[in-house]
Amino acid sequence: MKMDGHGWPSADEALERAILELPLEEPPKGLRTSILLATAYRPAPAFSFPELAVLGSVGAVALWLVVMLVLGGGDLFVHTLATIASALSRAFSNAAVLAWLGAGGATALWLTLFTGSQPAALAPHRSERSASR
Amino acid sequence: MRAEPTDGDLVTMTLGGDSEGFATLVERYDRAVYHLAYRTLHDVEEARDATQEAFFKAFRSLRTFRPEAKFSTWIFAIAYHACCDRLNRRKHFASEELPDRADASPGPENRVIALDEASRLRAAIDALPEKYRTVVTLFHLQGRQYEEIATVLGLPLGTVKTHLFRAKEQLRRLLSAMEVTES
Repeated sequence: MKMDGHGWPSADEALERAILELPLEEPPKGLRTSILLATAYRPAPAFSFPELAVLGSVGAVALWLVVMLVLGGGDLFVHTLATIASALSRAFSNAAVLAWLGAGGATALWLTLFTGSQPAALAPHRSERSASR
Repeated sequence: MRAEPTDGDLVTMTLGGDSEGFATLVERYDRAVYHLAYRTLHDVEEARDATQEAFFKAFRSLRTFRPEAKFSTWIFAIAYHACCDRLNRRKHFASEELPDRADASPGPENRVIALDEASRLRAAIDALPEKYRTVVTLFHLQGRQYEEIATVLGLPLGTVKTHLFRAKEQLRRLLSAMEVTES
């Protein structure tokens, strides 16, 4: 290293070299492990979001069934079920409702193209681009 | 012999569901990210938390990583912003001024007796104003890739070069002052 009268680099390049040669700080023990456990090696949750949604729905229906049976016995339950079934059949026989459902589904499908929910489809593009660099 | 996968390959692996890709990225950059955090925050615990936060954020938002960008620049930028948030919180909650000015610190002269060359250089870097210190730290990590440094800091390229030039000037002055004090 080129030094000045005091033993320190006088030239710009020598000072830059001295900076570049500085050792990196030693990270605390266990840092890498804790990062990995919070990211790459994070244990998968017991249930995924769709599974939780299905379980929650089943639980809610089961609870509703129990409440119906406790409050009014079998008759109230059957009556409520029949009311719901008739409301649903009326709704699904309506062309406007079906049109709105179709529009909603199509929009949701279209939005997934922009939310990165299809990594497998995007992956080849990424590697192709990095290979071409 | 099999070539080492590039950072871009590792990102693609991770996005494809292979978490080993991200584990390798952590192994490649955890020390550098910690170095940046520690040099910015000067506190082991805060630097540790900022490093973890940076990797956690990177992992969660890996899909937003642009394939044409450099992973190192991206993770340094995330880490730098995490550090800035912490510094801002410190400034908000602490009544005392942060030691971000050379003349506000206790002075390198009192700290550097019997330190070796690298330690003296490090002490001189610590005594720089915050904005210069960060540029020098990133220069240390990224070398002469000034555009990458500018991207991390969100500053114009010219400003980065000016900061680095002034930082080196101040470093030379500080190092000379240390030598005079010691002799």
